[in-house]
Amino acid sequence: MFPTNFLTAALVVCSFSICGCTSAVQSGHNTALSGMDLKSMTDQMAASIASNPEIRAAIAARGKLKVVVEPAQNEMTAEILPRGEAEAFTSRVRSLLSSHDPGEFIWIMNRDEFYDLRRTEREDSLGPSPDAIEPDYALTAHFRSLTRENSTGRSSAYLCVYELTNLKDRTVLWSDKYEVEKRAVKAFLD
Amino acid sequence: MRSLTPNNSFFILLMAVCAGFLQGCESQSVRSAENAVTDYYMDDYAAAERILEPLARKTDENFVLNNARLGSVALARYDLNTAEDAFMRAYEVINSVGVNNGGRTLGATVISENIKVWKGEPFERAMVNFYLGLIYYMRHDYNNARACFENAAFKLRDYGEGADKTDAYREQESDFALVYLMLGKSLQRLGRYEDAQKAFDRTVELSPFLAPVADARRNQRSNILLAVDFGRGPLKATTASGAIVGFVPTPAEEGPIPLPIVAVDGRQVDLDGINRPPVDLLALAQDRRWQSIDTIRAVKSGLGAALIAGGLTYGAVDRHANPYIALGLIAGGLAMRATSHADIRQWEMLPRTTFILPLSLPPGRHDVTVDFPGVPGLYQEWRGLDVPAQGEATYYFRMLRYDNGPHTWPPGNTSP
Repeated sequence: MFPTNFLTAALVVCSFSICGCTSAVQSGHNTALSGMDLKSMTDQMAASIASNPEIRAAIAARGKLKVVVEPAQNEMTAEILPRGEAEAFTSRVRSLLSSHDPGEFIWIMNRDEFYDLRRTEREDSLGPSPDAIEPDYALTAHFRSLTRENSTGRSSAYLCVYELTNLKDRTVLWSDKYEVEKRAVKAFLD
Repeated sequence: MRSLTPNNSFFILLMAVCAGFLQGCESQSVRSAENAVTDYYMDDYAAAERILEPLARKTDENFVLNNARLGSVALARYDLNTAEDAFMRAYEVINSVGVNNGGRTLGATVISENIKVWKGEPFERAMVNFYLGLIYYMRHDYNNARACFENAAFKLRDYGEGADKTDAYREQESDFALVYLMLGKSLQRLGRYEDAQKAFDRTVELSPFLAPVADARRNQRSNILLAVDFGRGPLKATTASGAIVGFVPTPAEEGPIPLPIVAVDGRQVDLDGINRPPVDLLALAQDRRWQSIDTIRAVKSGLGAALIAGGLTYGAVDRHANPYIALGLIAGGLAMRATSHADIRQWEMLPRTTFILPLSLPPGRHDVTVDFPGVPGLYQEWRGLDVPAQGEATYYFRMLRYDNGPHTWPPGNTSP
């Protein structure tokens, strides 16, 4: 005796599994910081800067703040932060504040990013050359993580600290943080 | 439940034919990749890169493998942008979970293991991280280099942690002190001297013979680092039935790793014991723990053999046997056997070891030759390597028989 239904089902399942395969980059997920984190983190930081009383007081006292934007520093455990992403995590804050509060900041890119972008035909949107203006403040970000991995999965707890530092006296005018925890559970073939 | 009819036997036969097709169907891209591997070992890196570039863009089951291959080729020809991008793409999938969801897990289990997205054995995953870290180190991006070497260590810890959850991973780490050595160097360049010393100490703890190369002062003084890939890594092998894989050759079969000597401007440099191998991938491969799919493969192979034997016995013993049933059983058995073949995809460019040689030379341009006196004809010469007054310049040597040079620095396709 042989189960006909089983054979039919097996064929259907086999055909389905061949045809239904996703690509190598479609199904998986990991614990790295994502585009969603970039958006929510930078939205939060831009709002925090815009509403900070110390910053408002400094603007009222000195006029427009001249701020150089540095790429985020990767101090994470076993997590890579490529240069482009490192720049995006701070330049999006600049971009948000530039559009919402154009009269309060003069944004100055760090030299490497400026000359990289100048090669990519975006000179009109870059702002002043870093060699032309002496910045008073630096917008920096330091990303740290506690990452663990074992046979069952990987977890990363992130602490991303943003600071606006006075370059003359090294005092921190403003600071805020973004925290997120991510977990990835390994499946059968992981 | 109904008895097997000619119609049912047709289904079984169809499955056998399908399985046969799946096993026998070697795609054009697989053959192209094999050609690229041949080009690589013939020192034609440019041709290999041309073949692998389009393959590495295809997000199929060989996506990680082809990117690892492309990374190796691009690194050997100092095309660092391409190498970084390729290893990064491989790294992202290796670091992801659930990559084989959405049909591939079932397909790999029931039909053919080749359907699963290749993520490599633990030592292959660790080496993807190592090379990505090496590229960042060459570019003085020491934070990302550090992160890569830390991640490489994770991959082998994961490997060693089996069901017993003991400290078994230490055994794997002892063959992979390479990442701790490079982690120490990265931390040192970041000014994190205490953490660097811990990493160097760990290197020596795992492999005491690496004490000279893991010396913090020597690494601090070094202004030129040679990363020298030697030999061929482990290769997968199957038994005659194709059901079980193993890695060959063993370190005992291959013999001890020969040690390099270095000549600068024609004069041999006193390496003072730094030329010991910090990794032996042949040894690492022997420690491989079987994944669960190997069990499935063995079961399928055994079940297939039983079905064939059952079909033959039924047909021979029972005088009233239904020939369709006998043929159906045999066909089903053949299908099981055909789909139980091992997944022998592998990263063929891996070396047996990577020597790390930190040297202190007078700033300026120097001709550097790495030679393996124990392997006749195996040497490589580079002319005009730039040695900085401050910091450390890193140069990668892939030792292959047909690649003696002399090469001139910088190579035409260098990307900074």
